Amino acid sequence: MATLSAAFASWKPAASFINQTKGLTYRAKVASIGTSRLNFPSSRSSRLHIRCAAKPEIVNKVLEIVKRQLALSNETSLAPESKFSEIGADSLDTVEIVMCLEEEFSISIDEDNSQNINTIQDAADLIDQLVQQKTEVA
Amino acid sequence: MVLAPSRVEVLSLFRSLLRTASKFADYNIREYAKRRTIDGFRDNRGLSDPSSVALAFADGKSQFEVVKRQVTVYSLYAPKVKSVMEVTSL
Repeated sequence: MATLSAAFASWKPAASFINQTKGLTYRAKVASIGTSRLNFPSSRSSRLHIRCAAKPEIVNKVLEIVKRQLALSNETSLAPESKFSEIGADSLDTVEIVMCLEEEFSISIDEDNSQNINTIQDAADLIDQLVQQKTEVA
Repeated sequence: MVLAPSRVEVLSLFRSLLRTASKFADYNIREYAKRRTIDGFRDNRGLSDPSSVALAFADGKSQFEVVKRQVTVYSLYAPKVKSVMEVTSL
């Protein structure tokens, strides 16, 4: 627990610590604890993922794209939890927005996932997950 | 009794059309295909009569076959020089 709070307090040294233990790079907001050093018998997998909400840059980009697609003025402030139907987007608009997001982030969203996207936060989380998967594979 | 397509089917066709249309190599054709599908689906949004909905859906499906075929054909003759609209930086 102490190492966890220390990791959250200062990012730069924490990142190098993670690099040494596992040789994997993680961007901000995802911490991983190598159990080989800390001896947690309860965890099944060798890494403990702590996934926070999607990063603010991604949420902002998504908001920007949504505003552009629905032709909303810049003054309207959108809460990330607002549903697409609440802000005036019908199902066709939602499909269009998902296509724009796929193009913008160079990811591929499959059918089942796209059906579950109801709020802006959902979309941002899914994008965050897919982008991380992409950088892990590469 | 005409079987009208369900909402999910229509949205699935819309998505497949957009995804396939974005594979065109030529900028003009790609943008036109995307624009035409969006306009076409939006114009027919208000249809309530099941037979006209089924007709529009069948029309969309045949166009989807055309798009799929043409993506492969056009990719054989892809232009070497990209359109100026695709230049992101000079």
